[in-house]
Amino acid sequence: MFEPVIPYLFVLAVALAGAGAVRRIRMWRQGQPSPVPLWQGLAAMPRRYLVDLHHVVARDRYMANTHVATGGGFVLALVLVLLVHGFGLRTAWLTWPLLAASGLMAVGAAFVWKRRRLAAAELPDSALSRGPWQRLPKSLLAFAVGFFLVTLPAAGVLPEGIGSGLLAMLLLVVCAWGLAEMVLGMTWGGPMKHAFAGALHLAFHRRPARFGGGRDTGLKALDLDAGKLGVESVTDFKWNQLLSFDACVQCGRCESKCPAFAAGQPLNPKKLIQDMVIAMAAEEESSYHGNGHPGQEGSCRSGAPGLPMVDSILDSQTLWSCTTCRACVEECPMMIEHVDAVVDMRRYLTLERGKTPGKGPEVLANLIATDNPGGLAQASRTHWAADLSIPLLRQTRTTDILFWVGDGAFDMRNQRTLRAVVRLLKAANVDFAYLGDEELDCGDLARRLGDEATFQRLARANIHTLNQYRFNRIVTTDPHALQCLGTEYAELGGEYEVMHHTELLAELHRRGQLHFTGNGKGRLTYHDPCYLGRYNGVYDAPRYLIDQLGFERTEMERSGFRSRCCGGGGGAPITDIPGERRIADMRVDDARAVDAEVLAVACPQCTQMLEGVVEPRPEVKEIAELLLDALVVADAPPAVRQSTEEESAHV
Amino acid sequence: MGQFDALFQPMNINQLTIRNRVVSTAHAEVHATDGGMPTERYVKYYEEKAKGGLGLAICGGSSVVSIDSPQAWWSSVNLTTDRVIPYLQDLAQVMHKHGAKIMIQITHMGRRSRWDGYNWSTLLSPSGIREPVHRATSKVIEPEDIRRIIGDFAQAARRVKEAGLDGVEISAVHQHLIDQFWSPRVNKRTDQWGGSFENRMRFGLEVLKAVRAEVGPDFAVGMRICGDEFHADGLNHDDMKQIASYYDNTGLVDFFGVIGSGADTHTTLANAIPNMSYPPEPFLHLAAGIKEVVTVPVIHAQNIKDPTQAQRIIEGGYVDFVGMTRAFMADPHLIAKVKMGQVDQIRQCVGANYCIDRQYQGLDVLCVQNAAMARETTMPHVIEPTAGPRRKVVVVGGGPAGMEAARVCAERGHEVVLFEQAPDLGGQITLAAKAPQRDQIAGITRWFVLELARLKVDVRLTTPADMPTIMAEAPDVVILAVGGTPFIEQVPEWGAEDGLVVSSWDILSGKVEAGRNVLVYDTICEFSGMSTADLLAARGSLVELVTDDTKPGVAVGGTTFPSYYRSLYEREVIMTPDTALHRVYREGDKLVAVLENEYSGQQEERVVDQVVVENGVRPDERLYWELKADSVNQGQIDIEALYAAAPQPGLSHRGEGFLLYRIGDCVSQRNIYAAIYDALRLCKDF
Repeated sequence: MFEPVIPYLFVLAVALAGAGAVRRIRMWRQGQPSPVPLWQGLAAMPRRYLVDLHHVVARDRYMANTHVATGGGFVLALVLVLLVHGFGLRTAWLTWPLLAASGLMAVGAAFVWKRRRLAAAELPDSALSRGPWQRLPKSLLAFAVGFFLVTLPAAGVLPEGIGSGLLAMLLLVVCAWGLAEMVLGMTWGGPMKHAFAGALHLAFHRRPARFGGGRDTGLKALDLDAGKLGVESVTDFKWNQLLSFDACVQCGRCESKCPAFAAGQPLNPKKLIQDMVIAMAAEEESSYHGNGHPGQEGSCRSGAPGLPMVDSILDSQTLWSCTTCRACVEECPMMIEHVDAVVDMRRYLTLERGKTPGKGPEVLANLIATDNPGGLAQASRTHWAADLSIPLLRQTRTTDILFWVGDGAFDMRNQRTLRAVVRLLKAANVDFAYLGDEELDCGDLARRLGDEATFQRLARANIHTLNQYRFNRIVTTDPHALQCLGTEYAELGGEYEVMHHTELLAELHRRGQLHFTGNGKGRLTYHDPCYLGRYNGVYDAPRYLIDQLGFERTEMERSGFRSRCCGGGGGAPITDIPGERRIADMRVDDARAVDAEVLAVACPQCTQMLEGVVEPRPEVKEIAELLLDALVVADAPPAVRQSTEEESAHV
Repeated sequence: MGQFDALFQPMNINQLTIRNRVVSTAHAEVHATDGGMPTERYVKYYEEKAKGGLGLAICGGSSVVSIDSPQAWWSSVNLTTDRVIPYLQDLAQVMHKHGAKIMIQITHMGRRSRWDGYNWSTLLSPSGIREPVHRATSKVIEPEDIRRIIGDFAQAARRVKEAGLDGVEISAVHQHLIDQFWSPRVNKRTDQWGGSFENRMRFGLEVLKAVRAEVGPDFAVGMRICGDEFHADGLNHDDMKQIASYYDNTGLVDFFGVIGSGADTHTTLANAIPNMSYPPEPFLHLAAGIKEVVTVPVIHAQNIKDPTQAQRIIEGGYVDFVGMTRAFMADPHLIAKVKMGQVDQIRQCVGANYCIDRQYQGLDVLCVQNAAMARETTMPHVIEPTAGPRRKVVVVGGGPAGMEAARVCAERGHEVVLFEQAPDLGGQITLAAKAPQRDQIAGITRWFVLELARLKVDVRLTTPADMPTIMAEAPDVVILAVGGTPFIEQVPEWGAEDGLVVSSWDILSGKVEAGRNVLVYDTICEFSGMSTADLLAARGSLVELVTDDTKPGVAVGGTTFPSYYRSLYEREVIMTPDTALHRVYREGDKLVAVLENEYSGQQEERVVDQVVVENGVRPDERLYWELKADSVNQGQIDIEALYAAAPQPGLSHRGEGFLLYRIGDCVSQRNIYAAIYDALRLCKDF
């Protein structure tokens, strides 16, 4: 019998895996230093895996159950194999659980197989990777069934020494195959790599605040005095970013949610992460077996740690296609940060190479020269409000609510939103003021286009202005400003309580300071702005407000945290990378699919993008506009003196 | 960034921030009732503009400050009494509510008025010279009158300020009293009030000083002046620059309103409010010339009708504010539409001058295209969708009545089919636009075409509608607006049946070629006959225009007949009044027209190639009589409801059958306004 071989086999596997791990860790350490709390991270890892990661995985019940069975069964079986077959502890307390564990794993593996078979039939529509990934269910079964059978005699179910030598040899090969895939594969780069890299990635994640239900969405500030700005080659990433790329399980959830991918623009976030892996491991594109970046299928590129990624493994258009909508990050069960990586590489292209495409250079030059992307006179920032008599903070010095207007001040469409908000705030007797022409662009656009220097300059100038005044909260209609002021200024010394206008208006309504008629008619659907929803977790306030108005609110297939981007974020309308469709058209199609007559929006970018879609389409209305239409005004209009001779006047 | 950014740059006048560069300038509305009080109709007329987004309205053209400057002829605002203050307060409050600013013009009209009514005032002027437009004689003003009137100006300004308005505009234009002093043409005085430049400026300066002393330094006080009187012996552009600069140097003036042309003769008056025969902004250069020499903002209004034009003027820096006064009558929401990106939905002024031509007759100012203008108490500018049943409405006829009916019904949310037998919409507007200088009237149709397309009205052109066609639509409401035909058969002796005469429509439409030697006989004396004569003459015909009325075109308004006359005289058209067309007969290849003088009975003959008769429109009643008996309401419009702006009682009918209404010239010939007003007030409650 071959059973005595198993411990050696096991030791060999672990030893080889250890060598693989050393090699893999060296690969990650090619990256830049990034201090992490070593033991704390490792200690936190199980909880991050079992709670946070599982929370994401569980959005797909089928896959969650399958993974619990397969992964759980495997970990348990591996430990028990070590005890039963390695140390020869053949007590029924261990052998029967081993049978159960490997049995459970076999059931899970069967479901993995089933899923993969379906995927194969649906190729190439499936977001799943093929190649070694198609082998995985078989390997899982090999491990599970192999050790199940091997354990049967140990458990006393079958007599010892059963089966011919040939059968035993076959079983040995099956077990060896299982061990090779499941143990060696972890560190030598098979599909099971995700377990090893993933576990460490969870331990040393760059944004630990994301765990435990937290949110950490702000881009990290760049040291502008560094020798090289941004990421040129893969080794310019932090080491734990490289680790995170390696954790990718190629499940394709990011791909299926990416708006740029759906629009046929040359970006597939899954492929992007694999591009990093290929570069880090000095491999060739042929080692990747999933969908490519649209329009670049069949390319045969290779990467290497020292090579600039753009033009070796990556096309710059891939980076500029991203709308920074975070749909990929939100979907990723391994909690990989695609957007950080994209912006890191954009920073290099913009700051070191000056290669921002499309209208990017013009817009950045405008921001540098005029503090707004349109290149407009700063004085014209207040034109929209000329007749509204909003107190200027420069004069009042102090206020309860600071109304951060944003660059929508220059845009006639968005001015309607701003004016509606002002009317609502006045109706609710809110003590508010604005900065007038002291306000500068918040820096969002510059930052997403990679111009971190301009972002930091604008941010510091705005912080300097804000710090001169006293106010309790900042309110803005622009989720991008909300993100910058509320989250990203903190690293530069500006910490403020910032809220979206829908949050404040909902609060005012709850407090009875605003009243609305519920006369809304027809079907309405609400489009969650990425920077309000995924970035800042505001999903309820807009819906609460809409529900006061009497419309029949219906949700699009992609809504809430799964909302599809309008296409307006991350400077995408400015870099304007061609695709097969426009993202905004697809989003309006989502609204058409639920027969919405009104498409409610809550972001100036979304308003502009969605209203730019050709009619017929649902009417695009900002929530503040809807609210103003329904506002109940307390005071009656002034009486006008009637004429005694009105009849004769109407000649 | 935006196409119209220049328009939306706020600008200050004294302490006042005007939210954009678009102004409704002072015009006599003829809406101030109760002895010159801005009552509900007046206030709502201005409120609509404020709602529609304008920056500043200067209301009350020729609002009088003294009781010997008659107010009642043109129902202008009466600033001679404190009684006006609460009414003005209403106005100020409403305008401010919508973010607009409101000022009022203040003036003494001097000789530019009528004396034969109300207080039977003795009119005043510097040297007692007669004013021709109003046929007004006046006495030579005495120093006591001068001092009284200066005080009256100050008191009027006080009332305006107390009422909460944002400023006053002192009128020194159109030959009101102040510019009567300026102009050596009518100021022949040798005392300190006439002669030298300083002396001629004195009255205006004393008025300014008194007003400023009353209202203080922070209240906006402007002056409206002309850029050139266009009289050989009047004030020319250089004179006006000198005058503007003189007052500007006093530091007492916060803005100048500038228009081109004097207005004390019929032909200069026509310049002052340029009709459709003028090019866009014909006198902008004069306002720009004034802007060169003054330090305060300059407002200019004359034929500025569309936002692109306005943007170009402001962007070019010619003036600081554009007056779009008639443009706001045609569409008080024009700025709101610009802001909504609905420029295509703006109903643009076409310069028909129905507004101003009514005003000079002492009638309330109305817009030929927009029947809701100045009827805000009863007529909606924005038609709300109906809350009642959705009806199938069939409109027959695509002239102004039919187009407005279709528009209003579609805005109400009804399903509308419009049949028009011609290949285009427009009806008689299409004909009217064929004449030289009248092409812009087609702008009325242009807007309807765009609106009907936007509202998805089923417009079926080149489709004559008979009873089966209409019934096939299973209508709930049928509106007949089929117009009529030229009524040239009225006098059998004209020989229409034998083809001896043709109609003005034949000529305008081009159906009949222009003859070489043509007699146009016009009994109507409105636009149609004048246009026909003008078109024939422009095509090279030798034309005699004959009418039995007192002069050709006598029913054409005061700002439009001059443009016809300029053209007809230049083209050597013979104009023969007081003469009827008695008979036409053929002699060889010529026609002989027998004419008869209305007063002497004397007959004379003309040998011509062609006789064109304009004798109005005979309503086409055929379809009406076919449908009437089957209709639920027997084709009747309830005129009590119609005049009260109330829903037609027939609308409560449910079930089988259709309601039948007829409007426009197919009932009786009236005009575009009547057609549109009837369509609006009938259909707004469908």
